[in-house]
Amino acid sequence: MNLNEESLQKIAELSRLKIDPKDIQNFLTDFNKVLNYVDTITELNVSSVSDEDLYPNEGNSLRVDKAHEGLSRSQIESFAPSFQNGYFVVPKVIET
Amino acid sequence: MKELWKLKYSDIKKGLNSGEFTPTDLIQSLIARIEAEDSKIKAFLSWEKENIVQAAAESTERRKSGKPLSEFDGIPIGVKDNICIENTITSCASKILENYRSPFHATAIEKLLAKGFVLIPRANMDEFAMGSSTENSAYQVTKNPFDTARIPGGSSGGSAAAVAASFVPVALGSDTGGSVRQPASLCGIYGLKPTYGTVSRYGLVAYASSLDQIGPLSKDIDGIIDVYSVISGKDQRDATSKNIPAFDPSKVKELPWKGLKIGKMKITPEIEPDVAKAYESLLAELESKGAQLVDLDFSLLSNSIPIYYIIATAECSSNLSRFDGIRFGQRKDPSGKLEDLYVTSRSEGFGKEVQRRILLGTFSLSAGYYDAYYGRAQKARILIKKEYEGYFSKVDLILQPTSPTTAFKVGEKTSDPIQMYKADILTTSVNLAGVPAMSVPIGKDSNGLPIGLQITAPALHEDKIFGFAKMISDWASKVELPETIK
Repeated sequence: MNLNEESLQKIAELSRLKIDPKDIQNFLTDFNKVLNYVDTITELNVSSVSDEDLYPNEGNSLRVDKAHEGLSRSQIESFAPSFQNGYFVVPKVIET
Repeated sequence: MKELWKLKYSDIKKGLNSGEFTPTDLIQSLIARIEAEDSKIKAFLSWEKENIVQAAAESTERRKSGKPLSEFDGIPIGVKDNICIENTITSCASKILENYRSPFHATAIEKLLAKGFVLIPRANMDEFAMGSSTENSAYQVTKNPFDTARIPGGSSGGSAAAVAASFVPVALGSDTGGSVRQPASLCGIYGLKPTYGTVSRYGLVAYASSLDQIGPLSKDIDGIIDVYSVISGKDQRDATSKNIPAFDPSKVKELPWKGLKIGKMKITPEIEPDVAKAYESLLAELESKGAQLVDLDFSLLSNSIPIYYIIATAECSSNLSRFDGIRFGQRKDPSGKLEDLYVTSRSEGFGKEVQRRILLGTFSLSAGYYDAYYGRAQKARILIKKEYEGYFSKVDLILQPTSPTTAFKVGEKTSDPIQMYKADILTTSVNLAGVPAMSVPIGKDSNGLPIGLQITAPALHEDKIFGFAKMISDWASKVELPETIK
């Protein structure tokens, strides 16, 4: 299959990416080349694969519920780009 | 000063343990080599010389006082830039993580430090481990020490080039679709992709979590065995880590030639004539020694690259969503709308190949296409796994060329993503199946460029791979690493 520019822009929006308008044609060409290449799998017969094959019951991997030492506040502060009064400073994320 | 940089891993280990030279003597020789030659290779993004000298001095002191941490104390090891080292920049060769300093060590790093290895970060790589040539780094293109007009392979090209240029005897890389084995092959060294789940991925920046695995690259087989034995084993912090102990090197045994069943492949048009010749002459030698060659049908595996790209990019689009300018990554456009902050931070921070893979992953996971692409690829992956199980009911080991070609020229494949993706045509199925495989050097082409052999074994049978590699290393064509870099 081939994607058109509109669909590519929609996928870019979902990916939180913006494709530079001057690159859009090249991107579309390359993307469609890759898509056509991976498209071959749509012809593969996978009917022999069962749900049990896909999701084998191997159980969960659980850690022991035991407290252990984490990073200290000063370590966290030294790695944060912006840190004030014990909090990370980030731009406003709730829009009113 | 003695030219200790020329030594192979096993001679370095011997020299340190016999007291012939100290870790400080060794590191000084390697630093002189790096300072003289890395401007031609560009294997390292940066390296903190003072820290390295200090670590070697501490190791020298421990050895002098008779209290080395292990037989490996003082051995230098290169580290790919996607494996976290505390208080060291781990950028994944991406602009988005340009200033990211890790607050913790990866488990593999903790284990190496506990044994006294001296870390030499930060080996260049394809951005977020996405590429087959190390041309996708946001900072620099790494060159092949055998010919600096050519690529070293990727994505662990910095680690492979650093070993092949004798900057370090051994290095860590990561392998998602062939990223340790392919550059090892193109640089004339050894490189292992271990069984999935035997080396903790804690602290390895995730690209495609169900495929990624940290693996060693080395000048000789002993370096691979030693480093694998140190970094493998169960880790509580990685839920995909297998509940088995670390690899025991005493399990490595030579196999009897007589009756040894070797799976081989038919030469396909993608494989260059010189590569095919080296492969076939090795097979003939094996047969003359009593091994039994078994033809295997690899036609299903020809679908591996499409399956790989759907699964890997789906996981990448999910894993890389955390790089949003808020939680991780450089923050761009912080004064506008939140949406703009995400989009600008990501669009300016990620390179083109990374963006292309995120888009493909988002596409295959999106409503309307999920069943046709991602769902189908997951099922097809099971078929690949079963195919390998079928092979290993007939043979002990599978041998293939690691890469269909020797090192290609810088820029030769950058304009065509499909050609670049095909560089990993013989390696990706191994990651899909989760089995172990290693590349070993077996000769050179008419341009003097190295050719690698991929040895694949059933899951958890690294011992067979190592035993076989030791057997052939005695007589397979030796590939001498270049002393002069041109």
